[in-house]
Amino acid sequence: MSLPKDIYRTLEDIVGTENISDDPAILDSYRYSLAHTAIHLGPFYDTCTPRGAAVLMPGSTEEVQAIVKLCNKHKIKFKASSTFWSAQGYPSEDGAIQLDMRRMDRILDIDEKNMFAVIEPGVIGATLQAEAMKVGLNTHLPGSGCSCSILAGATSYFGSGPSNLYGGWHYDNLLGLEWVMPTGDILRTGSLGAGCGWFCGEGPGPSMKGVARGFLGAKGAMGVFTKCAVKLFAWPGPATLPTEGTIPAYRVKLPDNFKAYTVAFPSWKAWADAAYMIWDTGIGYLAHRQFNMFGRELKHAMVKILTDPTKTLSDLETLLEDPEVQRITEESMRDFQIILVGMTQRDIEWQDKAFDEILARTGGWKVEAMLEPEIHDWSMLYLIRLGHKNLNLVFGGSYDGCFGLLGAADFGAAHAEEASEFKKEWEKHGAVVQAGGDCMMGPIGGQGGGGTCLWENFTCFDPHDKESVEGTLALFDAATAMGIDRGWGVGMEKWNAVARGPDGKTTPKEERDRMHKDTPQPSMFRYQHKVREALNPNDLGDAYYETLED
Amino acid sequence: MALEDFAAQADRCSQCSYCKWIPFDQVKSWRFAKNCPSIAYHNFNSYSARGRYAVTRSLLHGDSAYTDTVRDIAYTCLTCGACDVSCKVCRYNLDPLEMVRELKFRLVEDGQCLDEHLAVIRSLRSDQNTMQQPSSARGAWAEGLDVPLLPADKAEVLFHAGCRFSFDRSLHKTVRAAVTLLRGAGVDIGIMGDWEMCCAGRVYAMGYRDEFERMARANIAAWTRAGVKTVVTSCADGYHAFKRLYPELGSQIEVLHTVEYIARLIEQGRLAFRSEVPMTVTYHDPCHLGRQGEPYVPWDGVEKKIKGQIITYEPPKPRYNGAWGIYDPPREILRSIPGVELVEMERIREYSWCCGAGGGVREAYPEYSSWVASERIEEAKATGAEAMVSACPWCERNFMDAIDAKGETMQVYDIVDLVQRAIAGEA
Repeated sequence: MSLPKDIYRTLEDIVGTENISDDPAILDSYRYSLAHTAIHLGPFYDTCTPRGAAVLMPGSTEEVQAIVKLCNKHKIKFKASSTFWSAQGYPSEDGAIQLDMRRMDRILDIDEKNMFAVIEPGVIGATLQAEAMKVGLNTHLPGSGCSCSILAGATSYFGSGPSNLYGGWHYDNLLGLEWVMPTGDILRTGSLGAGCGWFCGEGPGPSMKGVARGFLGAKGAMGVFTKCAVKLFAWPGPATLPTEGTIPAYRVKLPDNFKAYTVAFPSWKAWADAAYMIWDTGIGYLAHRQFNMFGRELKHAMVKILTDPTKTLSDLETLLEDPEVQRITEESMRDFQIILVGMTQRDIEWQDKAFDEILARTGGWKVEAMLEPEIHDWSMLYLIRLGHKNLNLVFGGSYDGCFGLLGAADFGAAHAEEASEFKKEWEKHGAVVQAGGDCMMGPIGGQGGGGTCLWENFTCFDPHDKESVEGTLALFDAATAMGIDRGWGVGMEKWNAVARGPDGKTTPKEERDRMHKDTPQPSMFRYQHKVREALNPNDLGDAYYETLED
Repeated sequence: MALEDFAAQADRCSQCSYCKWIPFDQVKSWRFAKNCPSIAYHNFNSYSARGRYAVTRSLLHGDSAYTDTVRDIAYTCLTCGACDVSCKVCRYNLDPLEMVRELKFRLVEDGQCLDEHLAVIRSLRSDQNTMQQPSSARGAWAEGLDVPLLPADKAEVLFHAGCRFSFDRSLHKTVRAAVTLLRGAGVDIGIMGDWEMCCAGRVYAMGYRDEFERMARANIAAWTRAGVKTVVTSCADGYHAFKRLYPELGSQIEVLHTVEYIARLIEQGRLAFRSEVPMTVTYHDPCHLGRQGEPYVPWDGVEKKIKGQIITYEPPKPRYNGAWGIYDPPREILRSIPGVELVEMERIREYSWCCGAGGGVREAYPEYSSWVASERIEEAKATGAEAMVSACPWCERNFMDAIDAKGETMQVYDIVDLVQRAIAGEA
């Protein structure tokens, strides 16, 4: 569906000829293959998100505002995205306008003294982190990695990641915000709204963080966030990461106040106890069950491949037959990674001692193989920069999480084995990668300890293979049914079901309402409905902003 | 290969945008974090490897058709391979550089050509060069050198000057110096003069596969007739063509870039520097010598899934990800020249920013090509260097033109120029 010529010309006047296109080939590069990830709609073989009516690349807040006002005038849906990690950044309905925010990519300020940065949507984690490190600061990176927009994580989606523990989820970190609201009005929130600068998200101006973000973020369906400030946190390391090594086995050797450990436990209860003790003790810079995403049976073999530039996936089977690899794989069955960072030498010594005590009390141990210098330094760089998240798709080209067990450490730990056994049985069907059932990955808690762990059980498949895609879909449906049967609540495959319909694109409103009513906290969606009614009267967003009307 | 052979890769592309950035582990600043000139300049997703996979899928599915925009999307790719390196930090079963080459091949096969490229092709057919110059003037650069002229004379080592060095008069000094210093070190070296032919690497990068094969076979035959055992070149494009592409057509000749040969001679004590060259320089890695300068590894295999859905290859497929390109020899040479201080740019080695001259971009999109060079010059200036040194005449010409256009003061040298200064005692 194309735009009327007069509207197209008006948009062209706003952004300039070189920043708008309705060429089909360009539009098709703004569609997401739905065979990729269930959480983001699919998997549906050979199906993509709808083609937009035009793609625009605004260069300023004023341009965004003019576009949004025009869209309201002509009732045209629009969708803004910055780094396009997932299908949720793309229009979910035909005829919408895609705003690609990549031209607005400036770091406007790094306030060293007050420890925050002011950024535009196109700023990615890697560049903000690199600039922050120059002044002894760091930014939290979302679990999707450093390729993603920091603003998007702070304003529009989830924002959880390995450094939750010390750096805070991005919902914690969002400060002042500039918001081109769905009507085209500009709202500046927090201290920014009172003309006091960017330093606070809650006041003295209007506190709109909850309204702007909603549950898990509005995912681009409620206007456009054009600038925001995010909290930064201390980085007692070098101004530039001294990366060395041969691609892709890059690694970094950091000073003695940095320690990277992979630790494992004799039972899931011990695993959870250790998480609680870490929080109680207040140690740790980041903590994540990371490399298990490759699978309980494959993870150490994959570490061997990734730390050796001469190896490829073709070496996997041979490595799996290596008794030493088998021993380490068995040893690290119930593991996670943790990085301790001392602000002083005394601090790291104390953290190290406290962590040893936690291991002693829980019966846990450090996986010695992960302390080999080259593996240790690779692991350190991987977790601090989070620049290898594309490994999510390394096996067959696609992945998604089933059983998104989001809750306290005990919650996931209590169900991990059952969920893993269930998935392991499905792996035998051949549609997904046979990795040992347990491919659960996720952060260990929220800021300052406590909060939640996320157990996202990675399911890797081939998006080009129809049988693989359909088999994966069947697994997800079965996982949904099991989660409901066991009372585990909304899992990732359920999030998928909320958004997808029989054509792979949208779900009828009646069906969505039924699903939202069945969630543990349906009022959240009723609240979002009221927010939408009040702030988006022409309903120019899409179904990714989940609402319930009753 | 055909474009259809990349349908699976198009579906399996991670859509992660890693192809737009240098490997994230190497990011040192906001300013110099991007790797792909095409998406950095044009901004639409389509101008990245990720976008080109999507465009390929769209074309294969018949969802879009050839337009000027589609031609631009394909032909603005410099085929510098930066996307390929970044993609392969994580992926073992995607080859975005090969995909975009195949996209160009398909456009050419379907007659979707650019006039500027066709002019180059006509020159290649009539005069065996890409410079639209008479073949009779090709050997003029070597006048007075008294160097064996193959095939009439004999030599173990052939020095291949290449089109740019042969016809760009201001660069003649570099190849004259290269031949002179190699001969001075006792290397049994000759040239082909007017009989030398284009390597055709550049037309391959434009999408003219058939023209490439014709020229490659002609060169291989000429070398065989001349009894050459080793080909040395100072051109990174030529090096890549001879080293990586020709073996697919049966060439078994040893291929060396001048920097490899000079580094070897220095190590063997056969080249001695007599004077200082007091200069702070930064080194620009040419794409075709660096990340694309890895040796060819023959492979004839098929995809094989293990563990249900893990994509591997039987036999194991060679992995070209820039790990084993030619990065150290030029740096060793520079560090060995008395007085030279080497300072590095942020984007180096396998994640170096392109000069902007490749893939037919210099010929068809001069403004964009100049912008790409200017970006690199800005990066060089940030190091405090007074000169950029490289090992490819195409890079050097593009930098010199961009510097002239902007009135910059940065100097540009081929590495051989500095070696010559240090040997000859020139100030």
